[in-house]
Amino acid sequence: MERRLQQVFFGLSILALVLILAAEWQASTPSWKTYQRNFLQLEAQGEPNAVAKAAVLATPPEIHQVMLTGLQRVDRCTTCHLGVDDPTMKNAPEPFRYHEGLGPHIASKFGCTICHGGQGLATDKESAHGNVAFWQTPLLDRDYIRASCGRCHKEGDVPGVPELAEGRHLFENQGCRGCHKLNGVGGSIGPDLSEEGASLRSPQWLEQHFLAPNAVSAGSAMPNFHFTRQQARSLTYYMLSLTNADMGTYYSSVRLIPSPQYGRELFVEKNCITCHSVGGVGAKTGLDLLGVTKRHSPEWLDEQLVNPQLVYPGSSMPEYDLETNARKALLAFMTTATPADAQAILAGRKAELKPEDVAIEAGKQDFARFGCVGCHGTELQGGVPNPNAQGGEVPSLLHVADDYTKDEVIAIIRNGKAPPLDNAAGPTPPLYMPSWKHVLSDEDINRVADYLWSKQQKKESW
Amino acid sequence: MNLIRDIWQSIVRRDPLSTDKGKSELVFLNVWLHIHPAKVKKENMKFRHSFYLGFITFFLFLILLTTGIALMCYYRPYPPQAYQDMKDLQFAVFMGPFLRNMHRWAAHAMVVCVFLHMCRVFYTGSYKKPRQFNWVVGVVLLLLTLGLSFTGYLLPWDQLAYWAITVGSNIGSYAPIVGGQLRELLLGGHSVGEAALLRFYVLHVAVLPTAIILLTIVHFWRIRKDGGLSRPVWKLKPKQAPALVTIGAPPTVAPLVSIAASKDKTYGLMEVVTGKPIFETITPEEEEDTVFSYPYAFVREAVVLMATVTTIMMISLYFNAPLEQLANPAKTPNPAKAPWYFLGLQELVSHSALLGGVIAPALMVLALLLIPYLDSNPSRRPADRKWILWLFTFFVAVNLALIVIGTFFRGPGWAFVPPWVHVTAGVE
Repeated sequence: MERRLQQVFFGLSILALVLILAAEWQASTPSWKTYQRNFLQLEAQGEPNAVAKAAVLATPPEIHQVMLTGLQRVDRCTTCHLGVDDPTMKNAPEPFRYHEGLGPHIASKFGCTICHGGQGLATDKESAHGNVAFWQTPLLDRDYIRASCGRCHKEGDVPGVPELAEGRHLFENQGCRGCHKLNGVGGSIGPDLSEEGASLRSPQWLEQHFLAPNAVSAGSAMPNFHFTRQQARSLTYYMLSLTNADMGTYYSSVRLIPSPQYGRELFVEKNCITCHSVGGVGAKTGLDLLGVTKRHSPEWLDEQLVNPQLVYPGSSMPEYDLETNARKALLAFMTTATPADAQAILAGRKAELKPEDVAIEAGKQDFARFGCVGCHGTELQGGVPNPNAQGGEVPSLLHVADDYTKDEVIAIIRNGKAPPLDNAAGPTPPLYMPSWKHVLSDEDINRVADYLWSKQQKKESW
Repeated sequence: MNLIRDIWQSIVRRDPLSTDKGKSELVFLNVWLHIHPAKVKKENMKFRHSFYLGFITFFLFLILLTTGIALMCYYRPYPPQAYQDMKDLQFAVFMGPFLRNMHRWAAHAMVVCVFLHMCRVFYTGSYKKPRQFNWVVGVVLLLLTLGLSFTGYLLPWDQLAYWAITVGSNIGSYAPIVGGQLRELLLGGHSVGEAALLRFYVLHVAVLPTAIILLTIVHFWRIRKDGGLSRPVWKLKPKQAPALVTIGAPPTVAPLVSIAASKDKTYGLMEVVTGKPIFETITPEEEEDTVFSYPYAFVREAVVLMATVTTIMMISLYFNAPLEQLANPAKTPNPAKAPWYFLGLQELVSHSALLGGVIAPALMVLALLLIPYLDSNPSRRPADRKWILWLFTFFVAVNLALIVIGTFFRGPGWAFVPPWVHVTAGVE
């Protein structure tokens, strides 16, 4: 017995030693070392003589990493993808191939995962590519990779990615905000989309969901907007680009380069020409804007756009809730705007707008911007299915004046309303009127009501 | 060489191990080994008596200490960095995964072994006089082990950690009056955050290990002072007053030596004192059953040590410690579950917060602590203590059943979902 026990002890000690060696072996033979060896052999082939070859091959294996404090990430992808910034590796096999067409976005400054997704800290293929449990952002499919441009380029046109601008445009004009919050503004019927790009949903799921909401998410309250494939793709791109992650000053600064072109679009969209003129061309209600950027400091102008009443008490200029970059873009346009521009803008307008129409136009823009059109339609026609609500669909707003006074409508917008039920015992209808008082200012709500009243069809006289 | 011999002799002062005196001196002249008696009873060393569960627990604790200190070199107890350090351990630190796996699996194993050790001590009736207090120390050690495991659970700062601790600490807050404040004290705020991570870290690496080391010393000391390991139940004689031969002075016989007490002298315990020793004494025939601790006890302990270490190493080579995504207070997994050993509690809480989360566990701990004082039956023979064995078995079974239900049968919204029914894990 005693002898046997001593043998067992000896055996177990040997086993412990073997296990330690096994763990050591497991730790010292990671797959990235094999990749690095293969890469060195590939590199050595190009060397002219044996000495240089030997020198290349003698490079010790090490983990390469790009520390991106501004992006709050560390990318170790270049531990295996050793040729990404080496043009001589243009025809090398993966994972060593040179990454073409990066432009200024070199790996050593931007890393890889900010565009490609995946797990930057990982050093084995499976974990790094992110197709593992508990990693939310696996590598993006090739088809969707350009969506990542929108993570930093949050506004305006992104060269080479028209989908982003189109997706953003669709989002703002199809009334998505009526149900979905984005960066704090929007309804609460659907999920908050502020971090949709960092969620678990795959691009394919999103695209399918836009084409047929109920096909991938049974019982979804989201109406079918009958998007085309192209539109669904654009919206998917936009969704994938949405992330709340702080991009750091260096990376986010790209958003702050205002383009006069974007400013011009805003100038048209906000109907500035209805009140203002440029070098005498345009309306005379407001100031002439020619050379306005020379007369005032950028800070003064910015404040004027944010809060006109503060700068000019009694000013009739509305607040437009423009984002920082939009305001900068507008001012950039102002520095370059000429009477010829104003002429062209005036010529592009369908009908002459009167100043009193501007409030209604602003109401219409609010109606679109805050997502009312999502359910009530771009022409107030309603008709989005809402099972078990009276009439089975979201009501048209073309006849609200028949049933409500303006004050009642304003109260409904402010406080929200649950739709009357078709069948009292049935399920709660998925869609309802959210309360907007925390999102819209009273002024905005009044404008929306003005807009609604402007659209009321005249009662048919019997 | 004289120098080497001098050095050796300055360290090792015992006689050669070939002599009985040397074997004895090896034990009692050595600060680490003297917790053993010089001689042990053969029967007490039998595996089926103690299953060496106390030793296994202790060895697991040693593994945890060593791996834990190594892990501390790679860990910053600050929210985003803590998680990144886990990823570094997983991907960049040499043998990092192995290190972390060993720590994780040894920790789970220690919780299990402490519990099994307690069951063994109960079933053999070893908590009875004179060992009552050591049982109490043991129960406190169990609670400290749970505390260590619970505080360590948060440190990876992933979703699993964050929500398990959120749920776990919420259970504590159901206690009336002080509950909320206790939770706030523990978390350093109203929710699990930076402050909580730092507090848990301090508890995990400093406060609780120190407490557990100090109490372990008491626990071991008391084993010796209470007469060593209890006799295996199969050696107990049925219903017969044990014929004790007290060394020196049986109660009925005059002491061997009697010295008149003097006011001018102080007496140390090392002197001959009269009276009955508090621990069990051995009869002459039992004396013949004893062997020297060296090598008989030591080789067994060494085998258990190596078996424990190799088992944990084998598990750690093949199974990776879980690491989920970065903790996100805005995304509650559904269901959010406490660490497995608290899932019985969570199951109780799901039925009644106050009754299940406070009263039942408090009574349970109190009952455990008081067992040796409430159980007035002096006999340790299983035949004499049938109903209390059944009662304890029932207690253990209920606890296990609750943990199993909480672990495998609870799905989103804490609804009853058998493990073979697949429900896609919802994230709110």
